[in-house]
Amino acid sequence: MIVRIAAPESDDLRAILFRRYPSKEWATFARFGWREVPDGLILTLAGLEPQVEGDLDPTVPNVAFQEPYTLRTALRAEHHPLALGVCHSHPQDCPPRPSMIDDDMDRYFADYFVGFAPARPYVSLIAAQIDGEFAVAGRVHWRGDWLVVTRFAIERVPLHTWVGGARPAADAAARSRTERLAAAFGDEAEARLRRATVAVIGAGGTGSAAIEVLARAGVGRLIVVDPDSLADSNLERVHGSEPTHASQQIPKVAVARDHVHRIDPTCKVTAIRGALPQGLAVDAVVQADVALGCTDQQHSRLALSDLAARYLVPAIDCGVVIEGTAGQVTGQVVQLVRFLAADPCALCRDMTDPRRLAQELMSEEERQQRQVAAAEAAARGDDPDPYWRGMPQLNTVGYLTTTAGAIAAGYAIGWLTGRFDPPFGRVQLNLVGRFLDVADGDVDPRLDCACRRAHGWADQGAAEALITPPDHWPEPVHM
Amino acid sequence: MSNERIERELTVLREGGQRAELAVGDRLVVLYLDVPTGGARVGLPMVTDVIVPVPSGYPANLIDLAGLTVGSPFLGRVKGGQSNQGVINAAGRQWQLASYHPHTNGGGPPWDQNRFGFHTYLDELIAWLDCLN
Repeated sequence: MIVRIAAPESDDLRAILFRRYPSKEWATFARFGWREVPDGLILTLAGLEPQVEGDLDPTVPNVAFQEPYTLRTALRAEHHPLALGVCHSHPQDCPPRPSMIDDDMDRYFADYFVGFAPARPYVSLIAAQIDGEFAVAGRVHWRGDWLVVTRFAIERVPLHTWVGGARPAADAAARSRTERLAAAFGDEAEARLRRATVAVIGAGGTGSAAIEVLARAGVGRLIVVDPDSLADSNLERVHGSEPTHASQQIPKVAVARDHVHRIDPTCKVTAIRGALPQGLAVDAVVQADVALGCTDQQHSRLALSDLAARYLVPAIDCGVVIEGTAGQVTGQVVQLVRFLAADPCALCRDMTDPRRLAQELMSEEERQQRQVAAAEAAARGDDPDPYWRGMPQLNTVGYLTTTAGAIAAGYAIGWLTGRFDPPFGRVQLNLVGRFLDVADGDVDPRLDCACRRAHGWADQGAAEALITPPDHWPEPVHM
Repeated sequence: MSNERIERELTVLREGGQRAELAVGDRLVVLYLDVPTGGARVGLPMVTDVIVPVPSGYPANLIDLAGLTVGSPFLGRVKGGQSNQGVINAAGRQWQLASYHPHTNGGGPPWDQNRFGFHTYLDELIAWLDCLN
């Protein structure tokens, strides 16, 4: 059971909950999207229910919701599909463990809201400041059972979840293998990496480099998603690959999994042969603290930004391209794009071309039909473009993909440890240019874009999905 | 495939008075019923049914093509009607897909999934069925 919270809600939530700190509590109602995954629920904070003066009783030190706020929240739920919940604070240094009063409150609201919003989870979160640290715990009423939140994934806020309100166990000492990293970022950072889950979409040149860096840094769990098998032409770029992998057509995710286990046998690897946004891949990636997009496919880029917006998964997309003219290499570009939930999506950033997307998403049979139709059109003197547009394969080379993947992994480590942020929305690094080029850092989301309407809506925002998996793609499988 | 989005677009169509539904067969299609035509000018029916395939990966993939029932008198008169793009079975009938590509240099605007959908594709179909040779 994971609860995901992103900006701006994470900041707003803390401002509300701690407004009467350190001695008095405060609270808010909230809306959550959710997705059922095989081992539980993923909940995403979609928004806080606005409150006005008098919605909570300010004369008592604990939380006392007033009927107008409760009724207003319930009636609004009849017009949206999201789950409802209560978020409240405990006084400073009072553990976020439910009290008997909290038990009564949760039972009451779980019963009350179901009358207005049936068949939806009821979520209860408790936050407190303990020894100067943000501590949070939670539980969810779902299909008649109370389930404990086992992990919070809060954008850019590394924290140790108080499962069931209990103080987390102290972190083990840093391992000698990562002592240089711990010396640079602190023992706490090393422990955070061990607790972290990172998803890497694409296990080719860029993805395999990111995976290697993350595994060596001591990340506890890696989720690797890729549909392809290794080919001879990949050997120049893919870390951990060998000629036998290519001759035996070993899936790239299996190559990555085995390579990680050689580096760190304690790292848990979930290897999925498939692609976003196929269900099995989404089930896994929504559990990650950070996702890295490492493919040269536009549909993958779009799916990653959809996950960032709807499921609040912080992501960095990376890509590389080599440009040339007249026998000279004129550009060797690494591009990194940050997709936080509030960031512009791939559509808002004009990172996709509808024609390329369409051709990527066609079945092989359809592609062949289109190419034949284009040739026939050209033969009779008509424009072949409506049928098929030839698009060159993007050129790449191992040192560029390794650079891109390693930098992306570095920014992931920055987020996971809380030590640094990517200082950009989108950045391009040209190895043969004279300076770093920070591109379109100030692009705003399009107001009419589906990514804005579905912020944190998870599965309940399916009608706003930017992309769906084609039926002709092979079924994804765990390797 | 995003049934939720398509259902929402079909609701928009119905609220505007156009009957349309998802139909299965060889592949998933949207069936537009009784779409207005310019047929009265040339002695053809004033309405006809049309299918449009649901593209793989929709809405990332753009809406393209249009199909009329095999043997439809409109096939010989609409743009691309004589360039057969395949015959498919759907909704209990046989349909011939015409070479009609409004969002890929075929006369309409470039695809933008935030602006277009099966609800706006009706405008393209009406224009297509009105311009008869």
